[in-house]
Amino acid sequence: MNYVPNKGKETAEMLKAAGVASFDELFASVKPKLARKLNLSPPKSELELAGHMLELSGKNTLLKNFVGAGSYDHYIPSAVAHITSRSEFYTAYTPYQAEVSQGTLQVIYEFQSYMCLLTGMDVSNASMYDGASATAEAAFIACDITERSEIAVLNKLNPNYEKVLRTYCESRGVKITGELTQKSACVLVQNPDFEGNVHELEEFANRAHEAGALLVVSVAEPTSLAILKAPGECGADVVAGEAQGFGNPVSFGGPMLGYIAVKKDFVKRIPGRLCGMTTDSRGKKGFVLTLQAREQHIRRERASCNICSNEALCALAATAYLALMGKTGLANVAKLSYERAHELQKKLGELGFALQNTKPFYNEFAVKCPIKPKKLIAALEKRGIAAGLGIGEDRILICCTEKLSEQDVEDYVNVVRGLL
Amino acid sequence: MKLIFEQSGKNSEYVPESKAVLREPFGRKELPIPDLGEVQVIRHYTKLSTLNYGVDSGFYPLGSCTMKYNPKINEDVARLPGFAALHPLTPEKSSQGALEMMYELEKDLCEITGMDAFSLQPAAGAHGELTSVMIARKHFGKKRSKILIPDTAHGTNPASGAMCGFGMVTIKSNSRGNIDLDELGKAMTEDVAMLMITNPNTLGLFEEEITKIADIVHAKGGLLYCDGANMNAMMGITRPGDAGFDIMHLNLHKSFSTPHGGGGPGAGPVGVKKFLENYLPVPRVVKGGDRYSLNWKVKGSIGKVGPFFGNFGVLVKAYTYIKAVGPELKLVSEAAVLNANYLMRKLQPHYDLPYDRICAHEFVLTSKKQNEKGVHTMDIAKRLLDYGHHAPTIYFPLVVPEALMIEPTETEPKEKLDEFADSMIKIANEPPELVKSAPVTTPVGRLDGVAAARQPNLRWSNE
Amino acid sequence: MRFTKEHEWVELEGDIATVGITDHAQHQLGDIVSLDLPKVGTKVKQFSEFAMIDSMKASSPIYSPVSGEVEEVNAELGTSPQLVNESAQEKGWMIKVKVSNPKEIEGLMSEEQYKKFCGEKK
Repeated sequence: MNYVPNKGKETAEMLKAAGVASFDELFASVKPKLARKLNLSPPKSELELAGHMLELSGKNTLLKNFVGAGSYDHYIPSAVAHITSRSEFYTAYTPYQAEVSQGTLQVIYEFQSYMCLLTGMDVSNASMYDGASATAEAAFIACDITERSEIAVLNKLNPNYEKVLRTYCESRGVKITGELTQKSACVLVQNPDFEGNVHELEEFANRAHEAGALLVVSVAEPTSLAILKAPGECGADVVAGEAQGFGNPVSFGGPMLGYIAVKKDFVKRIPGRLCGMTTDSRGKKGFVLTLQAREQHIRRERASCNICSNEALCALAATAYLALMGKTGLANVAKLSYERAHELQKKLGELGFALQNTKPFYNEFAVKCPIKPKKLIAALEKRGIAAGLGIGEDRILICCTEKLSEQDVEDYVNVVRGLL
Repeated sequence: MKLIFEQSGKNSEYVPESKAVLREPFGRKELPIPDLGEVQVIRHYTKLSTLNYGVDSGFYPLGSCTMKYNPKINEDVARLPGFAALHPLTPEKSSQGALEMMYELEKDLCEITGMDAFSLQPAAGAHGELTSVMIARKHFGKKRSKILIPDTAHGTNPASGAMCGFGMVTIKSNSRGNIDLDELGKAMTEDVAMLMITNPNTLGLFEEEITKIADIVHAKGGLLYCDGANMNAMMGITRPGDAGFDIMHLNLHKSFSTPHGGGGPGAGPVGVKKFLENYLPVPRVVKGGDRYSLNWKVKGSIGKVGPFFGNFGVLVKAYTYIKAVGPELKLVSEAAVLNANYLMRKLQPHYDLPYDRICAHEFVLTSKKQNEKGVHTMDIAKRLLDYGHHAPTIYFPLVVPEALMIEPTETEPKEKLDEFADSMIKIANEPPELVKSAPVTTPVGRLDGVAAARQPNLRWSNE
Repeated sequence: MRFTKEHEWVELEGDIATVGITDHAQHQLGDIVSLDLPKVGTKVKQFSEFAMIDSMKASSPIYSPVSGEVEEVNAELGTSPQLVNESAQEKGWMIKVKVSNPKEIEGLMSEEQYKKFCGEKK
């Protein structure tokens, strides 16, 4: 099956019209030619293909998820997939021709608005690849503005975020430090941090600003914004984060949905697409991609970032999710996630797990295991439960969302009790 | 149309109600987003979708973007719970299917391109390009400071180079639209880390002397990089790895049929020759016996460029496509190149064709003939919308003034190409006032981009 | 008024030079949407970049025709960048520089020379 609709008769006519006798002539200037057939498995009919893919997906085992650590398994209303399945949305390109892209453009505008409302910032972009690279790019905004080239990371970042930050910084010649100095472009903190601790951002903001640096806040679990004070109200200058948890499946870690939101003054420093409202030649309201002189296709080697394709369809899913959930639904999601996590933490504490969180936590927490985390994780895996992420020798990071019931928490605890 | 924020209603119950009263710091006072009923939300976004144009709506000849048809089964497969509901930190034993898919996809991409190893981690073409430049940076350290790009390069190429601190040097094209070998010879010094080229290039032309180019670059110890955005022209016909490329990226959302989503998500895997393999991002998928696992311990790796393993959902779709087509990928590229040449010859009598030679999977026209009547490329693009087609890529590549870059792809039947050609020919002969007032049939007229940029309104606010 | 090859103009009164881009340059750039201008007190060097100008189709650096220190910045351009299109060589001025070496100006083109220069470039 190759999805080519023309038959032999048309092909012959077209070759003739193109002024060539054969495909060989069409590719005459191409070298070196591949003299053999591609060594790939033979073509499949859709029936065979469907069977093959079902079998492959069946080799994965779905577990009850008590793992987060950057990918959050929240409930997705059915309506979300029905909206993202509209092929006018998903088979379109980036909205270069605004007159036939008002659907995508208005969705981006609404996404930008939602992210601003949730983060308390003035401007958000149309999306980035993921929270990790968005965090790195956010730190570079601070370098650009302050003309400094050190980043002070002052709490525990998700290790994958940290690795991405390191890779980006190494190639750009930016230094990561653990302390704030007069050379720091920004204070970078994650909230909640990797182990779930919720920090007082105001304090970080004050310290950063006193040193002439910016405060960059990275948010990996977007539903936390429903119950935590908006970073923008705590003095954050740039917020970068992950919005996969809004209506996008965990999907083995991708696609994700990064974004960057900034204070008004920094709008021209923001990387990626921006959509703006304007009017058309008939006096009607409409939307266009705007401030494009920031971007690579115009600024070329002077551009601060090379991003073009982002995660537009994931942004549509997030926008639809937020519209469906509304403030009431989103608050319930956050409260239920909070409650489950706190129930489980309490029960594990009663079983002799040492609680590791030094500050209030939302839906993710760390505990010290009385038995090896590896053993615990393997034992729960056998019972259909993803117990959490082992961190270091003897600790485990556990996450709960509203998808877990009280019974699920009970089951987890019972299996653990049997191991002790 | 109203914004979602300008509507109000009662929230549907998707999750149970929580009676919990949370204390500081969890007492966010105000969450200024509206509650709405499901029917309101569905109608809002359904209506918005009708203002859009996708490949499923009609012809989408956007040059350089390979807007081919997106097979529906790929969408269904990516949504299978065994893939979509799988957490990335699921223990390896429970994620064998996912790892096997990635391992097999890497292997197939190696076979298609002639490279020795692939990483699926980059999330888009530009991300793959950046990853490649990071690899060049790691390979040379501070020893080399420049990257060469031809004047037909994608805008992302210079931006990617600059992000890693390289100085960018432009190489002029010759009259055939290919890299000028003399110019290249002069510019290629031992300070040059890499030559980044798109093949076929953005004029839609194959580099005729690609092996000589490779020799010039390698003689000075440089790397040759292929922007594989145009892989759709060469699958099963020629392989970048055989032509001397050391490193490349692919856009799975172009040649491998995954939808573009209105601007992503895409996937931009990076392939390298053996001697660069250890630089690839970690973790790598490895196979031991019949078990698949993730290898984090690779000495020399640039590290990570994304939080997990890449845009997995997109990878599933590309894998499904490759399994459907198999070695017939050659027929795909043949049909893509034939469609482009057929359309080019049909339009040649009516539009200026700056490079009159057999093209690859796309070609570049200009509106030079129409300029005499005061009609410009922008006008022609907008008028095409009135005829129910999407516009080609316009004003790119930059070396061709008033360019129209047309890429029909292999999934268009001849009758659609004829229909598009008829519209183009009609437009070429229409009164200038008519063409310049286009579009008239679209949901909105031409938008005031200047006002949008001068007084940016980038969000709704409740104030 | 004197002109540079990079299409800036400069007018010297006493030791204060007013600087902008030429009418020819604004035509080439098209609709100007924003400018990144330096702060008062910034030191500028002759022929080195002091600002960026963004139009709908280009983003270009602007080079100072003279060396010195920025005394004043045209704040109106922040909200009305179109002044550069409408009145490039008057209301669209960008910075006033207290010059450190007034002689630098002598090496720049006269209006006549600049016109010829633009003509040749075409």
